[in-house]
Amino acid sequence: MRERDLMLLHYITGIGILVFGSIHVATIFFTYPFQDTIWETTLRFDSIPYAVLPVYRNALLAASLFGLLLCTTVHAMNGLRSIITELVGARKRWVEALLFAVGVFLLVYGTRTILIAHSLV
Amino acid sequence: MVEKVKFKVFRYRPEDGGKGFYKEYEVPVKKGMTILDGLIYIKENIDPTLSVRYSCRMAICGSCGVRVNSLETLACHTQVLELKRRVIRVEPMRNYPLVKDLVTDMTPLFRKQKALMTWLIRQDNVEQENPTKQYLQSEEELERYLQFTYCIQCGLCYSACPVVSTFPDFYGPQPLMKAYRYYADSRDEGGEERVRLVDRFEGVWRCHFAGSCSAVCPKGVDPALAIQLLRRSALKG
Ligand code: SF4
Ligand code: FES
Repeated sequence: MRERDLMLLHYITGIGILVFGSIHVATIFFTYPFQDTIWETTLRFDSIPYAVLPVYRNALLAASLFGLLLCTTVHAMNGLRSIITELVGARKRWVEALLFAVGVFLLVYGTRTILIAHSLV
Repeated sequence: MVEKVKFKVFRYRPEDGGKGFYKEYEVPVKKGMTILDGLIYIKENIDPTLSVRYSCRMAICGSCGVRVNSLETLACHTQVLELKRRVIRVEPMRNYPLVKDLVTDMTPLFRKQKALMTWLIRQDNVEQENPTKQYLQSEEELERYLQFTYCIQCGLCYSACPVVSTFPDFYGPQPLMKAYRYYADSRDEGGEERVRLVDRFEGVWRCHFAGSCSAVCPKGVDPALAIQLLRRSALKG
């Protein structure tokens, strides 16, 4: 892949993160059972799994979660590739291979989570 | 009126190895005196072993680039009294191998220029070598690259670039700016090849737009802008 295609992907996934991230935050904002205190709203995890299930149940929202996962993974791995290479001071093939593998793992594991939660309905 | 200003100059002797050291010299300074005048004063009157590179003394040749109080500048273009300091630190440029004291080896800059083919590329080689007519340009065509022709290749922008510091393979601001200068020239026919050369990991994409290159340029050239324009061209293919 040419560098310009990778960077184009980087820009597009950056915008994707903004779009899908906003949908994600908005969904959570409207779905979570808000409690009286910030503590209860944000840190009482016991009620949250039941609150987020409707998000996964909805196919469109589940798809947007997948979009967020895809964009975040591609953007993060490509960003890490640049950061690590610039820090090390030279391009290393094994770093790129490792990041590619980590990206694939995150995508597969995240997709599996979304699918399992979606079929829990 | 003469004032005494302390010059704290970086000294480095390759034969001694090691990291180099700072040596202080007291220099009598008059209005109008430049950093280069101060360094020449030291060389002629206090310490003849000090090495400094210069030629034109009027910000044209680009050979006297140094860092004064941590900022890249031309020694012949910086007035001592305008700095309003009692102690002035003078160091060599960064991102280049050191030759001696304030003299740096500019090879990386010129090697990268060459790698980016920073000259006019024409398909008709014979005509290029022995032109049979004039190749006129309109004012608009000239405007597209004019500011980039003002570069005197002092290399200050390359020294100020934080990306070159951490990732020396990055082509750096000046070579990329020069590549754009020819890319934007209506007489040039190497557009595709140029885009292919700068569209590499070490190319335009590594610029983080710190802007320090444009900030230090003594000729008002904006290499950061040239890099963004090259990026746009690379994205368009
Ligand atoms: S762009 Fe400016 S700072 Fe860079 S080499 Fe040219 S004149 Fe010097
Ligand atoms: S001596 Fe020529 S630019 Fe300074």
